[in-house]
Amino acid sequence: MQEGIVLPARRINADLLRSILNSPKWFWIIVAFMAVFVLGAFSTAGFLINRGYGVTGLNNQVLWGFFITNFVFWIGISHAGVMLSAILRLSKAEWRRPATRAAEVLTVFSLMTAMLMPLIHTGRPWRTLYWIYTLPFVPYDFARGIWPNVRSPLVWDPSAVYTYLTSSILFVLIALIPDFAVLRDRTTGLSHRIYSVLAMGWQGNARQWKLQIIAGVLLSALILPVFVSVHSIVSWDFGMAVSVKSWHSTVFAPYFVVGAVHSGVSAVVFVMILLRWCYGWQDYIRLEHIDSLGRLLIVVATGWFYFFVMEVIFGFYGMESDELAVRQMQFMEEPWNLWMIFFVGLTYFLPVGLWLTRSWRRNLWLMSIACISVNIGMWLERFLIIVPAQARKQVFTFNWYTYAPSIVEIMIIVGTFAMVTMLMLLLSRVVPLIPLYDIKEGDILKTQVQIGRRTVPATFRED
Amino acid sequence: MARKPILGLFEDPNYAAEAGDALQRANISPQDYDFLTDAPYPEGAFGERHEKHRLYIFPFVGALIGLTIGILLTSMTQLAYPLTQGGKPILSLPPMAVVTYESTMLTAIIFTIIGILFESRLPKIKKGLYDTRITEGYIGVLVNVEEEQLNQVSGILTQAGAVDVVRET
Amino acid sequence: MAAGEHHSEGMWVFPAPEAVTGDMAEKAAGMPKAIARALVVTGILFGLGIAGFVMRALDDGFGAHGPWGYYAAIFMFLFMVTGAAPLAAVAFRFTKSHWRRPMSRVSELFALLGVLNVIMFIPLMIVLPSIKNPEVGVEELEIRRSIWFETPIGAPLAWDFLGILFLAICSLAILWLSAMPDMAEGRLSATGFRRRLYSLLAGRWYGTKRQWTIQKVGLGLLGAFYFMTLVFVQFTVASDYAMSLVAGWKDSIFPPLFTLTSFQSSLGLILLALFIMRRWGGYEQYIGVSAFWSASKILLGLTLLWAYHTFAFLITFWYGRLEIEQNVLKYFFFEAYGGAFAANLFFSFILPFLILLWNPVRKTDWGPTLAGLSALSGAFIFNLKTFVGAFNAGDVYAYFFEFVPGPTWPDLWDVFMVIGGLGAAAFIYIAATRLIPILSVWETKEGAKYQKMDTLVRGRYLVLAKPE
Repeated sequence: MQEGIVLPARRINADLLRSILNSPKWFWIIVAFMAVFVLGAFSTAGFLINRGYGVTGLNNQVLWGFFITNFVFWIGISHAGVMLSAILRLSKAEWRRPATRAAEVLTVFSLMTAMLMPLIHTGRPWRTLYWIYTLPFVPYDFARGIWPNVRSPLVWDPSAVYTYLTSSILFVLIALIPDFAVLRDRTTGLSHRIYSVLAMGWQGNARQWKLQIIAGVLLSALILPVFVSVHSIVSWDFGMAVSVKSWHSTVFAPYFVVGAVHSGVSAVVFVMILLRWCYGWQDYIRLEHIDSLGRLLIVVATGWFYFFVMEVIFGFYGMESDELAVRQMQFMEEPWNLWMIFFVGLTYFLPVGLWLTRSWRRNLWLMSIACISVNIGMWLERFLIIVPAQARKQVFTFNWYTYAPSIVEIMIIVGTFAMVTMLMLLLSRVVPLIPLYDIKEGDILKTQVQIGRRTVPATFRED
Repeated sequence: MARKPILGLFEDPNYAAEAGDALQRANISPQDYDFLTDAPYPEGAFGERHEKHRLYIFPFVGALIGLTIGILLTSMTQLAYPLTQGGKPILSLPPMAVVTYESTMLTAIIFTIIGILFESRLPKIKKGLYDTRITEGYIGVLVNVEEEQLNQVSGILTQAGAVDVVRET
Repeated sequence: MAAGEHHSEGMWVFPAPEAVTGDMAEKAAGMPKAIARALVVTGILFGLGIAGFVMRALDDGFGAHGPWGYYAAIFMFLFMVTGAAPLAAVAFRFTKSHWRRPMSRVSELFALLGVLNVIMFIPLMIVLPSIKNPEVGVEELEIRRSIWFETPIGAPLAWDFLGILFLAICSLAILWLSAMPDMAEGRLSATGFRRRLYSLLAGRWYGTKRQWTIQKVGLGLLGAFYFMTLVFVQFTVASDYAMSLVAGWKDSIFPPLFTLTSFQSSLGLILLALFIMRRWGGYEQYIGVSAFWSASKILLGLTLLWAYHTFAFLITFWYGRLEIEQNVLKYFFFEAYGGAFAANLFFSFILPFLILLWNPVRKTDWGPTLAGLSALSGAFIFNLKTFVGAFNAGDVYAYFFEFVPGPTWPDLWDVFMVIGGLGAAAFIYIAATRLIPILSVWETKEGAKYQKMDTLVRGRYLVLAKPE
């Protein structure tokens, strides 16, 4: 399915490098606006470190609140990159082309942001650094013979996230080499020198292209299992805890992964709509791409809903009084029950309703609403998993409590959203967020098949 | 006599392929010329030589190294600080599998990246003969021949439809 | 690889549309000896199965569920594999994958086994212990744990039965709708019973634009219904006949694992059928290696997902260290059925993974088939281990699974029932191939319009068109 026309390479360069070579006026205004929030968040984090944990809404009962919710949320968003880039690359879906780079970059920035959350959450982050990194880049304290406890999911977690982050950065960089070469050829002065170094002497000969294509497929195949492991391990941060009821569920790993893909792909669709609007990329991010992503999202959302139902049903299945207390809070007590209704409605019923018809999937306003709705819903989902379970913790704990975030936590959370937006914008100033060579390759492979009076779009396939 | 590069630029890929055919007819080995493009064409589109590589070895080697590191790291650290927790054995295989899996994958991916760069012959310190029009959609046919053959090759390229022929200055 | 062509030999096939109808009519006309022999052998096995069932009923009656473990296991295996098989046609038609075309009908024909599933399920309805404890003993629950909680009307039997019945009807409707154009064509060439059958089932099909549109939309809608119902029914049946028979076993990943195993094994079975057709059935010009190659990637993905779901279960229970969790692990995975689990792991994950890891092997017809056969064997062991174990796990009304029993070995009647179930399924399927064309003629003809070889600069490549 390809509705677009074949564009000349010069036009593709001019269009897709617009964000770098002819930066629009609004660019720095928005960056500055986001920077205010980011600075606000960092200042608030400084205040939190200075004053201690008393300035948050966390308490003895509910120790994991907004920070950890936000950590899981951003890890979830990061799953869009590999989902789109790797799975669609492996399945040779033509409509992946404009989406891959933005998705991969979103992966990197959301992972970085996610990792800030547990760091801030520790309250004394320098101790964490001291604990983990006594020597530069050596995460082990050889001198004192103290080792991170491999049996703790809190050690599995950084090992998975850093693997994913390193792999994603390398994945993005390798795919950027040909585009750096285009930039090298279109810039002068210092920029030219920097892009020349980054392009590594790329010429675009047959061997380099062959390796580049194999690299895309091979790295996709290698990163896919890592991507699945990351959110699974994040889910095991919760799932391994027997004492916190409703967390110790075997389905948590796939449930978290599918949820992450759901929120991540929705976020990418929203970012693509924004890019199309900001840079006038209508010829590249076409309605057919948004439509295909909408259809993919129906499948992902329904898969997510299935796992959600499994998680809830088997929560009740055991008929254990302490778990029922948590479920009672989630489903029956105000305001949690209202949040629960909002969460399910926003995550599944509203967006899927909007994705069911073709014309709605091709309406960018409705698609934006659906994608934002999914992400609000998925944020709420993490919150509703994390907080009620602790508020009704029973083993070794003889009181029930609740949790409300303080302004400190809210400021920091808002800052993370501003930070990812700002970083995405800043990166769009230095690298093309739509891969030029991928679009050009798509155009080379485009052809047509005549059936009766109808001309059907087609593609050449190597295998 | 030293070998020198010469670069023909074509607007039409068919003309570039024709240039390749003409070079072969002139007994110039396929090893001596390359097609430079701004996007990947399917393999064999220009009738170019088949490129062999050993990229697939890299992830396997990386994975083996990562696996070894993972097993050693998880087992030795647990044995070095043997603290029993929750009735789990000191050498607990499921958690070891998790960390070992990540180290295996990480090393496999890093080795793959190294492999891609190595097999692509990157970074290339000396770029050689090149023209920025290639990233504007022109197809470059880069030929490395003996200096005395330069004029002959230039003629072949021009005859095949090159819009420009560039030589080293 | 042919000169100038950038594909392996036999990767893509381009059947001539005008020759397909005649060729299929010719293939349907006679009864090849191999098929006749296969029908006799599977018929005998079917008979042995019935004998085993009768003997089991005479020996043990239907009062206790324990002796019916092997019967439950073979039913669940057949239900798992044949229930999910029609999904291959549905799913890959939904994704508009051209390579699906030769496997569409192979997959849809499994719909006929839905009837066998319905019949085989009836004895299991009788042996399932009631959810409410008839005689509450010391340290026993009044209502055993089940997904039906306070037991709404008819639960679980009526709902499970209705689910299986709906699946049978829905899949038959899919088969009928999909095969209608081919049966309409067959009216002209077939004789005797087949001619009457085709006239009855496809008498009003003339291939108008409206009919094609309705068929397309109908297949889409029925496919969506079938998919959603299948996943739901697998959840209810697998939970009722395994998890809720083991006191205190609470495992939310079990239904997804069951469903995943069904996808993996059914794709394996379809590949096996395709391989037989390609190698010995005279369908080589219709089934390219591309069908195996494309399916192999999905099979590899499902294989990895199987291992992932299994590990997610194991590590959660291992880490929890609750007594019930330890006992479930000991019983199903490491002690009583430890050997079966090892075999299950080997056939469902290790062997297919090692086969499918290699690109050159995936680009053959035998590689993916071998992996598929392995996955199928793994699923068979998975069902034996799970359902025989669950049916013999002691008091279903206990608070939790306290004492870990040993494995239950099959007696002669169990063996008869197991091979009889397999024989019955094979018998019905092979017989069905004589009635309904095993190749979707209209999809093959349609595919021929959208696929061709063409030249790009100097190379010859496949061109794939997608109309929307």
